[in-house]
Amino acid sequence: MFEELSLHILDIAMNSIAAKARIVQIMISEHAQRDMLSIRIQDNGRGMDADTLERVLADLATTKRSRKKDIGLGLALLRQTAEMCGGEFDVRSTPGMGTTVTVSMKLSHVDRPPLGDLNATILALCATNPAVDVQLHYLTDTEHFHFSSKEPAKKKVASRPERIWSGEEKTNYEPGRTQKVKRESTAAGCLA
Amino acid sequence: MNLEELKKLKEKAQRQVALREGSKKYRVVVSMGTSGIAAGAREVMKTMLDEIEKRGLEDVEVRVTGEVGLEDVEPVVRIEEASGEKTTYAHLDAEKAKRIVAEHLEKGKKVDNLAVGKEKKPE
Repeated sequence: MFEELSLHILDIAMNSIAAKARIVQIMISEHAQRDMLSIRIQDNGRGMDADTLERVLADLATTKRSRKKDIGLGLALLRQTAEMCGGEFDVRSTPGMGTTVTVSMKLSHVDRPPLGDLNATILALCATNPAVDVQLHYLTDTEHFHFSSKEPAKKKVASRPERIWSGEEKTNYEPGRTQKVKRESTAAGCLA
Repeated sequence: MNLEELKKLKEKAQRQVALREGSKKYRVVVSMGTSGIAAGAREVMKTMLDEIEKRGLEDVEVRVTGEVGLEDVEPVVRIEEASGEKTTYAHLDAEKAKRIVAEHLEKGKKVDNLAVGKEKKPE
């Protein structure tokens, strides 16, 4: 069990990089009013078919038996954390298209781990492969922050972008969509 | 986590990316799979980055990889030299990481009692 959510994020995002993702997008949204913290990690890696997905989501007890190369405990641990904190866990994946992992938890839940050292997580991800674009979107009730490892220094996006991710958003993955989101928020930053 | 911290992160990440250009004498590879992370690999990596920056070592790059098959001795760091020589250090923590930066990366002296296995001599 990880003591920080940022360790979970690092772990899941490492899977994305192992899956040859070119873009890894991490979205963290803190809704104090709705008492919800949601985290989404989306990549354009090679994705998983239904069988593989089932295998990586298997209960802790069964992962060892079915353990093969590249199959580990990361997702199971994250699911456990989310469920323990009154939240939900969801993985969508399409072979060749990418994977999206979404979790939510109650912001005020007593068992919810702190976000922790997100900086160290992003630094570690940036150190994996220079060709990978690591993006971070951090949303609170009032502010929005965007970071991309591919982008030279950009100004902070002061206003919320038009496109705000909500848990209900459709999750079928389109290639290049992550990039589109990035361009939109960058444009918002220039206007602000 | 606040926006100030995130802004600092941005600058730091950009410095790190800039450091990667060109070939280096040393490449530090940190194992960052699930077990590595659970054992504290991220903190080891962060300490090494800070220490490398503090000492102004420019001929070093830090990279991250997945599981390396040494789950029982995590956190694990491998140092690859331009000559092809490889040294693996195991059971690390922040203090040991600092020592490795000071001894191996700065002075070129291996820290034998933290290393595992035999180093591979280039053919």
